[in-house]
Amino acid sequence: MSWPVEVKEFAKTFYDEARGEVHAVKGVDFECRAGEVFGLLGANGAGKTTTLRMLSTVLRPTGGSARVCGHDVVEEGEAVRRSLGFYSASTALYPRLTARETVEFFARINQYPSERVHERVEYLIDRLGIRPYADARVDKLSSGMKQKVSIARTVAHDPPLLIFDEPTVGLDVLNALELQEVIREFRAQGKTVIFSTHIMSEAEKLCDRIAILHDGRIHASGTLEELRAYSGAHYLEDIFVHYVTAAQDGEGGE
Amino acid sequence: MNWRIIRYLTGHELRMLVRDRRSMMLSVVLPLVLIPLMFYVMKFINEGQRQRVVDTVFRYAVTGSEAGSVRALIAEARKVRPAGGGSGTGEVKLEEVDLGDPAASLQRQEIHFYIEALSGAQADALERERKAEAEKKLRAGRKPAATGDGAQGEKPAIPVPVRLAGVPLVQIYYHGDRNLSQVGADHMRDLLWRGVLGRKNALLEEHGFPYDPASAISVEDRNLASPAQTTGALIGKLLTPLLVMLIFTGGSIAAIDSVAGEKERGSLETLLTTAVKRTDVAAAKQLAILAMALTITVVQVSEIVVLVTFKVFPLPEGMGIDVTPVTAATMLSLFIPLAAFLSAVLLLVSARAKSYKEANLYFLPALVACLAPAFVALLQGVRLRSAAALVPVANVSVAVRDVMVGKFDWPLLAVVFLTMAAVAAWTARVSARQLSDERLVMAGGLDAADLSGGAALFPKRVLRWYLLLWVVFFVGVVNVPQLSSFRAQLVFVQLGVFLGGSLLMMRRYRLDVREAWALRLPKASVWPATLLMIPAAHVVATGVFRLASLVFPVPTQLLEQFSGELVPQGVPFWQMLVFIAVLPGVCEELAFRGTLLYGLRRRFHPALVAVVAGVIFGLFHVDYFRIAQTSFLGVVLAGIALLTGSIFPGMLLHIGNNALAHLMDVKGWEFDQGDWRVYAAGTAVFALCLLAIYRNRTPYPGLRARQRPVKP
Repeated sequence: MSWPVEVKEFAKTFYDEARGEVHAVKGVDFECRAGEVFGLLGANGAGKTTTLRMLSTVLRPTGGSARVCGHDVVEEGEAVRRSLGFYSASTALYPRLTARETVEFFARINQYPSERVHERVEYLIDRLGIRPYADARVDKLSSGMKQKVSIARTVAHDPPLLIFDEPTVGLDVLNALELQEVIREFRAQGKTVIFSTHIMSEAEKLCDRIAILHDGRIHASGTLEELRAYSGAHYLEDIFVHYVTAAQDGEGGE
Repeated sequence: MNWRIIRYLTGHELRMLVRDRRSMMLSVVLPLVLIPLMFYVMKFINEGQRQRVVDTVFRYAVTGSEAGSVRALIAEARKVRPAGGGSGTGEVKLEEVDLGDPAASLQRQEIHFYIEALSGAQADALERERKAEAEKKLRAGRKPAATGDGAQGEKPAIPVPVRLAGVPLVQIYYHGDRNLSQVGADHMRDLLWRGVLGRKNALLEEHGFPYDPASAISVEDRNLASPAQTTGALIGKLLTPLLVMLIFTGGSIAAIDSVAGEKERGSLETLLTTAVKRTDVAAAKQLAILAMALTITVVQVSEIVVLVTFKVFPLPEGMGIDVTPVTAATMLSLFIPLAAFLSAVLLLVSARAKSYKEANLYFLPALVACLAPAFVALLQGVRLRSAAALVPVANVSVAVRDVMVGKFDWPLLAVVFLTMAAVAAWTARVSARQLSDERLVMAGGLDAADLSGGAALFPKRVLRWYLLLWVVFFVGVVNVPQLSSFRAQLVFVQLGVFLGGSLLMMRRYRLDVREAWALRLPKASVWPATLLMIPAAHVVATGVFRLASLVFPVPTQLLEQFSGELVPQGVPFWQMLVFIAVLPGVCEELAFRGTLLYGLRRRFHPALVAVVAGVIFGLFHVDYFRIAQTSFLGVVLAGIALLTGSIFPGMLLHIGNNALAHLMDVKGWEFDQGDWRVYAAGTAVFALCLLAIYRNRTPYPGLRARQRPVKP
């Protein structure tokens, strides 16, 4: 069976002027299905962002392999990026473009068929409720409005895979809930969604399957029920602590 | 490359720039307003100044035992109209006032200048006094102030003959910091010389000489160059630096905004997650920078042309511009690759920076580095038919100078074009690669090193420290007269800057002395190779110097002056060995192959670490003609430290090299610098020694290894 996302022994080592060799990701394996939300749960510095940046070809892996919609992330970077939309708190918008220009720009550079760009832009403007401020410059918009424009630019080229890297960081409760609703809708459309977070309640509510990432390694992976069964804990927070503690004990014992 | 996407992205970049009102105001609108305004202000000031001189009644006093004869001389001179309008300053209103203390009145600005007329005996006494004072200063080790007639002010328009004993002396006292005082004194000086000439002619006539001896032979000069050629020779030298400055400043706004600005705003990562190739992103950004730089340059140059054409700022008399289509086309073909190179440099600088602030910090050194070779056309000895044709920017500067006076050396012009185009393409490739660098998205503002400080933070700060040391070194050596003596300079540079600076870094970052200075013993077999390397390195370094002087010729006079300054007379040989060999060999090694290398060891690949440390070492040798040679030695010494993991072999080589150079100088030993076989033999021995050291290496700890991505 071919999965939309297949990751095997993914690793990333880089050099830091002060710290020397840093192993940010130490061999991560997972697969994602079409029409599911796959959660990467981990504390800050666990390796979530590095893994997702490698998957989106922004960073080059130093070990392992990954395929996105059948394309190799190292050899076919352009095709991989055309198949995905990447959203994170660190990916910002162009402040001097209007909301409409932003969506159009990302649709065109992601090579969405040019004759259908206008139609797609108008659809997203209506679908995400951007129309009242579609012609206002992004730097004049509120953070909630910017978030909607960001989602629109992420899906402007209608990719089959969507990566959300800690998307709710800095958002208020209402905007965070709205974002979760949009993600559910994408799932319903049959898109594959990878959702990284360190907020347990979000993962619990949204994810079909969850992988617990700690210190560059996945220590457990499965549905919430499966994780409960393996760990013997009920709440995701307890499940997370169970695996992280076990991992730390294992390291200490080595 | 996907040109459709590149075109679209370039348009997008330009649209973003044009919408940034503040940048557009600063880069386009403001210069458009400021340049004519500046010209008007200059014109206004000049006219006001001229009018002020015409309106002013220059008040002066005459003192001294010969005051009467000076008054008579002035009166005679005022009757004679200056030949050809005198010195070009025209007549002014003069009024003598009678004052008790003219010096105090000049100080209080009651008069513009005063004249002191001394008799022959008084003048002789004054001269003796001045000579005695000068000798006293010379003995004290200070340079004597210039003395003699006319030496206290500016040189007079007419050459001053040597004053004979017993001849009266007329001195004009004025304040050079007050414009009207200086103008008045200049007028009086011309007037007095006119009077002296009149008297001389009268005397000659009295003794039967029938005409002014100055008319015995009539000398005329005729400039065979057309006004356009004369102007071309002047403008041709300055055109390249001016364009480099305009393109660089114009493009910098676009460059900083489109990469460093995007990084700071976070939109660069968004762009990098799209389907666009990074090479296409780099190409689009470079085209946008180039377009912006050229637009701003064309706008500013056009404005200057308009101002000159409409005589708002007219060209001086006898100057004219005549640019033929061939000249224009040739210059354009030289400037286009130059502009492409500069925009690639700007992109590179911007891509290195993490923020606007950091990009602005890099901007000035980058501008200076690009501007310095553009001034090569001003050097008299540099010809296009030399190695200069292969030096980027400098070659365009020399070629444009030649083209502007109608010299078209087509084969060499083709070499310049191809060299510049190749360098532009290579720089563009490097900047494109820079945009693919993962640090673009991985570098954060703060990391563990910033928080923990100490030794972990030192690698991040080391270059700033050496920049600071360089500033202290440069300011001290060049600008502080107290440090101009051999010993004072040596103590300041070696003990103060190099050793003191290193110790300060050690203390500030709590570095381990043994680690940071690499105080480890190498393998025993390294020592003989190092000893043998001393003469070989000397020969190879001389070869490097000779190669460098092909590009930037060094006048022999300059070398002799340098040698004289370096080796003062009367110092015993052993003392000189300590000063020239041991002290620099120890202090410079600790500073450059010790602390600097330790700080850089993880920053780049080891080969690049050696090059960077070597070039920094070279830059600490102020005389420009020594930079290539000392950089080469710096790279060798850094390489040896990295191969042996120890500072000691480099120290031995450094001391040995300096001692050998001094010994050869003292004994007058020379090797045949024109014989290529000497260099071939030297290079062969040098390479063998290096190979021996490599085979017995004990690598420097903590070096960065090459990162090899593992393909799936």
